[in-house]
Amino acid sequence: MKLLEHEGKKILARYGVTVPVSALVQADTMSVVLPYPLVLKSQVPVGNRKQAGGIVMVEQAEQFVPSRDKLFQTNINGHLPQCLLAEALIKAQAEHYVSFCYNTDTQSPALMLNKDGGTGISQARIFSVDILLGVENFFVRNALAQAGMPTSAELIAVIKKLWNIFSAERALLVEINPLFQTEAGEFIAGDAKIILDDAVVDPIARSFLNLAGDIGILASGGGASMLNIDILARAGGRAANYVEYSGNPPASIVKELTRTVLSKPNLRGCWVIGGTANFTDIYETMLGFAEGLRELQPKPTFPIVVRRDGPRQAEAFAMLRQVAADEGYNLHLFGPEISMAESARKLLLLINKV
Amino acid sequence: MSILIDQNTAMIVQGITGKEGGRAAQEMAAYGSLVLAGVTPGKGGQTSAGGLPVFDSVREARECFPEISMSLVAVPAPFVFDAVAEALYYGIKLINILAEKVPVSATVKMIALARFYKAIIIGPSSVGIISPGKAKLGSIGSSGMARTVFSPGPVGVISKSGGMTSEISKVLTDAGWGQSTALGIGGDILVCSDFVDVASQFEQDKETKAIVIFGEIGGTYEEKLADAMQNKTITKPVVALIAGQFADYLPPDTVLGHAGAIVSQGRGSAVSKINALRQAGALIAETPEDIPVLLTKVL
Repeated sequence: MKLLEHEGKKILARYGVTVPVSALVQADTMSVVLPYPLVLKSQVPVGNRKQAGGIVMVEQAEQFVPSRDKLFQTNINGHLPQCLLAEALIKAQAEHYVSFCYNTDTQSPALMLNKDGGTGISQARIFSVDILLGVENFFVRNALAQAGMPTSAELIAVIKKLWNIFSAERALLVEINPLFQTEAGEFIAGDAKIILDDAVVDPIARSFLNLAGDIGILASGGGASMLNIDILARAGGRAANYVEYSGNPPASIVKELTRTVLSKPNLRGCWVIGGTANFTDIYETMLGFAEGLRELQPKPTFPIVVRRDGPRQAEAFAMLRQVAADEGYNLHLFGPEISMAESARKLLLLINKV
Repeated sequence: MSILIDQNTAMIVQGITGKEGGRAAQEMAAYGSLVLAGVTPGKGGQTSAGGLPVFDSVREARECFPEISMSLVAVPAPFVFDAVAEALYYGIKLINILAEKVPVSATVKMIALARFYKAIIIGPSSVGIISPGKAKLGSIGSSGMARTVFSPGPVGVISKSGGMTSEISKVLTDAGWGQSTALGIGGDILVCSDFVDVASQFEQDKETKAIVIFGEIGGTYEEKLADAMQNKTITKPVVALIAGQFADYLPPDTVLGHAGAIVSQGRGSAVSKINALRQAGALIAETPEDIPVLLTKVL
């Protein structure tokens, strides 16, 4: 779960990292008690807000309302803000990049540093954290020196606080970019990007993403889901969504997902696709699918291709056949006798016949 | 031969009195795995659904069965770290974690502990391990699927996805290519054993003649395998199927899974993985059905 800047800064402040004096701005906020000029920032969960017009300088009080209105109307990569953050302007002598995240190369957490802020993770220097040692002064001092950054006690303290957040909040990413360095040698967080671990904060979250295509996909497992969107694209079809239900989902969850996926307007087909299941109860899964289908209004007339194999597949298909006969669905069932790619081609043929 | 497990590997199931653990233990025994006991704190003295003795602790299980060398950790995610730590502390050298949604903060500690204890951990989110005809562990190939999907042979299968472990093995079996061992390493941000760790085991195994991997976007495990092939740590032929190319066409800032939260430095995309593997000499499949065709080119 990605936090908004103001949510992230609340956490930074709680752990003792200095953040600018600020006020939250709603659509009807008429003024803020901050010295001008101030910075007004759109609270959307995407990067590069500045280039997209999501961060503006407000020179004087009269400009506050028009700037506020403009930001609330500025769409940034598909996101409109629910609120804005007004902040005092910081006079910085230098701007740095600092973050903690995970590194699959070293199988460990990593401290990422760049003496020039504004850059991203892609250009920062990586320092692997030995999880058994943690983040001690020597480690931070050496990393800062190698990155060409000041090795002051103040900066070391900020980085150790960041590590405290990363480990205590069990975060996946804690990033300050830019980290302002003032003339007095203080360090102030100009931004905050914190990603929390869904396994900790939202363990039942399911990954769902709207795509631009017109074929609804219900795929089992993240791997099969991604692979089959690729396979469909190569066969000439376009997926309407990405979704995964892994493990052994109860019928109620599959029913809910079926409704979510198939209630998208202008669908031309539905592909229920999976490999050979290890332990997923196919009957339970397909029961959920059938229940979801039945609740759709209007009744779907587009072709539906199911390709699945696994425990209780025969029972599942007998049930689906009955449902299709009762409701008049354009339903086509396949087991492992045809490949996943072949079932994609069959679906596209059926769609083009309609 | 095979890697990690065979018919002589003495196993326990931690969490055997739970639904997943109980079912897995019975299916493992039915396939021929040497499952000796189960562990559930507070349930010591009971007998599991499959008739195995249940102990309160790994310590007591090992006192009774000193030959135990492997544990299937089938407890829910919040209890995984405790169960793994217990297994390591009492001398278990091979651990397989079934649970999904284990916090990354727990996984990273388990990775460090596995190094310290010189143990191998497969998972989290692992569908299990199967050495066809010998033994299986975890939920891989349940309900009799194991005998139709998997068959003994020369191909090592390593997959980030549980479902694709089986789908690929089925396609291989249908085409006449058996598997030495097939396993799911899990698709989490961090997994305790990555492609290189497992491929290094296959490299040592005389029976394994080729390695098949199923990878996904995010992280750099596929690129690390390409590096290991470049520096000749892995010399056996590799066939790779990599999912998630469509993600390259999504608007910037769209994050599938957790790809945005880890160091990638320009790597991590499907194209990056495919290019790295191809340059290292791997053959790239676009569908599971391509895999047996490509294998005939290298074997």
